[in-house]
Amino acid sequence: MLFVREMKKIVCSFSWVLFVAAIGIAMYTQGVFGFAQDLLHKPAPGENYGVKQEEIPEQIMPEALSKLWEEFCANEYKTYPIGFIKTVKLSEKEQKKMAGILAEITGMDAGALLREGNRQAPADSDGFTMEMNGDLVQNSEGEFAVAPENAGSLHVDPDEADGAGFWQPSVQKGMAYEEFRELMDRADALLGGGSAYEAASLIQYGTVSLTYEEAEERYDLAVNSDRITGGYARLFADYATVMVMSLLPVFPAVILCMKDRQARMEELIHTNRVTAARLVMSRYLALVAACILPVLILSYVSNIPLWGVYGGMNLDYLAPARYTFGWILPSVMAAAAVGMFVTELTGTPLAVAVQGLWWLLDVNAGYRSLSSSYSLFRLAPRHNAGPRSWFRTQEYLEHRDGLLCNRLLFVAGSFALVALTIWIYEQKRRGRIKDGISLVRACSGLGNRKGQSEA
Amino acid sequence: MRVPVWEIAKVNLKHNARRPVALAAVLCMLIPVLTGTANLDEVSSAVPLEMFVSLVGVILLVPVFGPEQKEEIDDLVSSKYLDPIRVYRIRMLCSLTLTALCIILFAAYLDMRNCKTGILSVMGTWADAVFLGNLGLFTCAVCENTVIGYMPPLLYYGLNIGMGPKLGNFWLFSMTAGEYGPKLWLGAAGVLLGMTSLWCRKYKRQMR
Repeated sequence: MLFVREMKKIVCSFSWVLFVAAIGIAMYTQGVFGFAQDLLHKPAPGENYGVKQEEIPEQIMPEALSKLWEEFCANEYKTYPIGFIKTVKLSEKEQKKMAGILAEITGMDAGALLREGNRQAPADSDGFTMEMNGDLVQNSEGEFAVAPENAGSLHVDPDEADGAGFWQPSVQKGMAYEEFRELMDRADALLGGGSAYEAASLIQYGTVSLTYEEAEERYDLAVNSDRITGGYARLFADYATVMVMSLLPVFPAVILCMKDRQARMEELIHTNRVTAARLVMSRYLALVAACILPVLILSYVSNIPLWGVYGGMNLDYLAPARYTFGWILPSVMAAAAVGMFVTELTGTPLAVAVQGLWWLLDVNAGYRSLSSSYSLFRLAPRHNAGPRSWFRTQEYLEHRDGLLCNRLLFVAGSFALVALTIWIYEQKRRGRIKDGISLVRACSGLGNRKGQSEA
Repeated sequence: MRVPVWEIAKVNLKHNARRPVALAAVLCMLIPVLTGTANLDEVSSAVPLEMFVSLVGVILLVPVFGPEQKEEIDDLVSSKYLDPIRVYRIRMLCSLTLTALCIILFAAYLDMRNCKTGILSVMGTWADAVFLGNLGLFTCAVCENTVIGYMPPLLYYGLNIGMGPKLGNFWLFSMTAGEYGPKLWLGAAGVLLGMTSLWCRKYKRQMR
């Protein structure tokens, strides 16, 4: 009964209408209602099937070393510790350490490498000769590159292409890949982490074209494992979670929790016979239900047109529901729990800032590797793969356990926050805490003294 | 009738803007932890400015109509001889100035850290901040709820991450691609939204 009453209160409010409109707009901009125009196709022999990343030491080692050397010369290392770019400039001592790592990789003298690096620094790069194997070609963007077999190993800006260039060291003969990975990991640690030299990221330097057989295998997986609609439902869940559902539920949560205060009904509710646990839990469940309902409907709206297109095939009609509850729901629960907990704790809309910051960091974190998209603490796990890449079903299946742990952790964490909210509510009821914890209120500057103007 | 501009601004800073200013300061202090703020060229410097500092506009502008959300304060303000719209205008100017101040200070910090920034970067970031902030303020004026006001700017920010340059002249992060033209559109739209918010508030008061 209480659940129904709270649910009514939420869905009959203007804020909920705005919330639903926001989800609809965000999903529309991502093209989820036009899935029927982007169909899964069976690969045919002789087509271009795209590329895949593979751990090929012969390709990775020279490519990664080339990049490291380039950044070493400029003493400007691009890292992405939490997703955003961070340019690291090493001190003289640290550059010496980096030269030591390069020396171990190349088998050359560290001092000589340091001197060569300084000599090739961009500011004094005039007058060097370029040593390379292959022709210098200009691509459509006006950039010069060595192609085709060494593509990516050496790039020269158009402005520098007039005769200037640089020498590059090579990996010493007989170096084991494991040892190379270890050295690159040391280089990454020296840069503070998040660089392209981290062992898990090295795979990005190994790219090979997909064969027809591999493409066919991927297609079969999408048809048999995802049963086609599952792939689309997963893509919908990915967009919905990252764009809106890991952030927006905090708004109805904050509004609902502040409503009693604004209507000056707090004291009256405190005297009610209903227990704090029942009241808070009913509110929380009503919030989560009100937030997940429109997403569930929209996921079917995006999926149903495909049923006709793929008529006669073995489709998964429950996939939208499974991905809504398995993928999106834990993020919704987390955002709603943060909203209720922080609002009950502080009596202010601070939860919006807290959840906003968490979402901002999460959205920009860990784009570099697939495994990080499913890592344990991702608020919005990522699997941005549509029918053109055959939904990358194999990768999803490989990382499904990690995803399951992540989602379960968020469900457990959300219930823990709700339990804390119940405790705070109970303390308020007993008069042990008045209007939020005094320390928090003092810090937030909300404690306007009686008689002071607010205008 | 003389409008006590300074008195209103002082009271606003003391009682209403204190919390948003503290939050904006915390955000600005967090940026160097989150992203690189040293040795950046003009395009890379746009990342901290456009993606983080511009959010101070949301923090500082959205709560402009906040105090009157409490019924008793609204009644009190309505009974005064001074037109509340004038008070809002002063509060908005305060918030816009504080936003500009935050951006200038952060740009100066970037400059100290050997980054390339300029007046265009500062103006571009301010245009983003004004647009996002006034988008929220407009929502507050329509819905008469400050919390809801934070939703559209954050949603629009998310759309910019997802859609990028497809948003054309309304792409918030255009400076990261070396484009400054969209800032004119964003700035103009922001000012227009701010003016519409005030008009909306005035209209709603007259309708009572």
